[in-house]
Amino acid sequence: MSSSTSSEIVVEAKNLGKAFQLYAHRNDWLKQVLLGWWKAYFKPFWVLRDISLEVKKGESIGILGRNGCGKSTLLQVICGMTLPSHGELRVNGRIAPVLALGSTFDMELSGRENVLIGGAVLGLKRSEVLRKFDSIAEFAGIGEYMDQPVKHYSMGMRTRLAFSICAHVEAEILVVDEALSVGDAAFQRKCLDWIDNFRKTGTLLFVSHSMAEVRRLCTRAIWIEEGRIREQGDPNDVIRSYHRALLVEKDDVQRFSSGNAKQAAAGE
Amino acid sequence: MPSVKVVNGKQIVVENLGPIERLVSFVSKPFVRMWHHRDLIAAILRREVRERFKGSIAGWIWAIIAPLLAIGVYTFAFTTTLSLPVSDGTDGKQVSYSLFIFSGIIVFNFFSEMAFRAPMLLHEYTHFIKQTIFPSDMLPVISTLRATAYTLISGAVMLIFQFAMTGSLPWTVLLLPFIFIPFMAFLIGMSWFLAALGAFTRDAGYLMITIVPLFMFATPVFYSHAQLPEPFNFWIYANALTGFVEVMRDVVLFGKLPNMIVYGWTLLISVFSFYFGYWFFDRYRNVIVDVL
Repeated sequence: MSSSTSSEIVVEAKNLGKAFQLYAHRNDWLKQVLLGWWKAYFKPFWVLRDISLEVKKGESIGILGRNGCGKSTLLQVICGMTLPSHGELRVNGRIAPVLALGSTFDMELSGRENVLIGGAVLGLKRSEVLRKFDSIAEFAGIGEYMDQPVKHYSMGMRTRLAFSICAHVEAEILVVDEALSVGDAAFQRKCLDWIDNFRKTGTLLFVSHSMAEVRRLCTRAIWIEEGRIREQGDPNDVIRSYHRALLVEKDDVQRFSSGNAKQAAAGE
Repeated sequence: MPSVKVVNGKQIVVENLGPIERLVSFVSKPFVRMWHHRDLIAAILRREVRERFKGSIAGWIWAIIAPLLAIGVYTFAFTTTLSLPVSDGTDGKQVSYSLFIFSGIIVFNFFSEMAFRAPMLLHEYTHFIKQTIFPSDMLPVISTLRATAYTLISGAVMLIFQFAMTGSLPWTVLLLPFIFIPFMAFLIGMSWFLAALGAFTRDAGYLMITIVPLFMFATPVFYSHAQLPEPFNFWIYANALTGFVEVMRDVVLFGKLPNMIVYGWTLLISVFSFYFGYWFFDRYRNVIVDVL
């Protein structure tokens, strides 16, 4: 690979795997911490396996998959919140994670104070947040509520405010996880317009259950199943085969446990 | 430009450093990170200070009333009922017993607030740690700074009382930062260690609730090390808090320079605690995200 093409790759993952440590007994973690160098006291539970992925600058990737397939974990690994257990990952650029919007808000504090904290957590200087404050308030469009404690906000209002903060970070890579499902249609459209605009300059990783959004925003789609990439390519093709599979595979109660059993049987 | 490179679960440090450079980077790392995240530290600290008195009307007044009330009660109790003038053991200078124990209690309360809170610290901030790119190693720094604010209020109340009772303050009070800042470093290091431990198990919190009150009597809060019999007046320094309490009393109450061996010992404890705590936290921080 020549240096000119590799500099355009912003996210590069090779055989990425993520295992959570499952302990048979509640206190086995202590043995693991003390004696982990000698033997393993846990069973690895692989939520991501063998993910190889290259995202070029300016691409928009839509990630599809059923609940619990590992989509969110993949985003968390890419954002660097949790380390992969296996494989290589390289990320170049400032990431703005738009995950679980509003979950970090302090309910007792006002929207205004939460904007200051939220901006700082996303890596903005205090002066930057203050400068952008009016713009953040305008985008959120919650008016007088800005000075009320967040506990009086509706889910939709929290989402509006949280998304608005993220939209002002000036990131190079935007990672969005099912963020917009609570907002009303008008706000969703506003956010999608904003993301659409962001795509002109930045790279987008986008998880959504709305196929219309994926079709509209993404240049490539990736379908993840049981922690592996099942299919990737043109969004229309991937969505078609994903839908076909959803029709065949009913929402099986055993789905989560059977995946586990399969892993145990495979002896991993 | 922040870039992440990870191979087989280990973060790869890009620089290739020699042993001296590695030592320098280890020593400077906590400070570099504090400086880098200064705006975040300030923002969270502001939230923490507000949170402490959330829903209260009097707010900060509570932080002033509590130490005022405490020293008032001690003064009343120890001047009217029993009178125990305390000397520092060498030159026989006498100070009021109420100021004597109040100074010990201020130092001890600072320690106990950190010891109680640190094991739960990462649990309080789970959302931040799991949902955002959050420097969790700054949380013990922030909580220590918050506790510092309340300690300084108590300290100011004490100095005002001391001035009112004795009519003057010794010049050695000016030396207080030289012992107070190492004490903060000691507590930040302790919080790093306890926070990491507490993320794995709630037992760390219960352990602290059990042993910290006992520590109050194993530390010279109500007595001076000079009042202890022969072997104990040496071994009491094995309790890391002893040196800090004694040195702070020397400069504030007795108005004299501390014993340099004791002072050196407290500095040694501070540096060890700070770097051991950071090393421990840094080592387990990536595991902690998954166990929270």
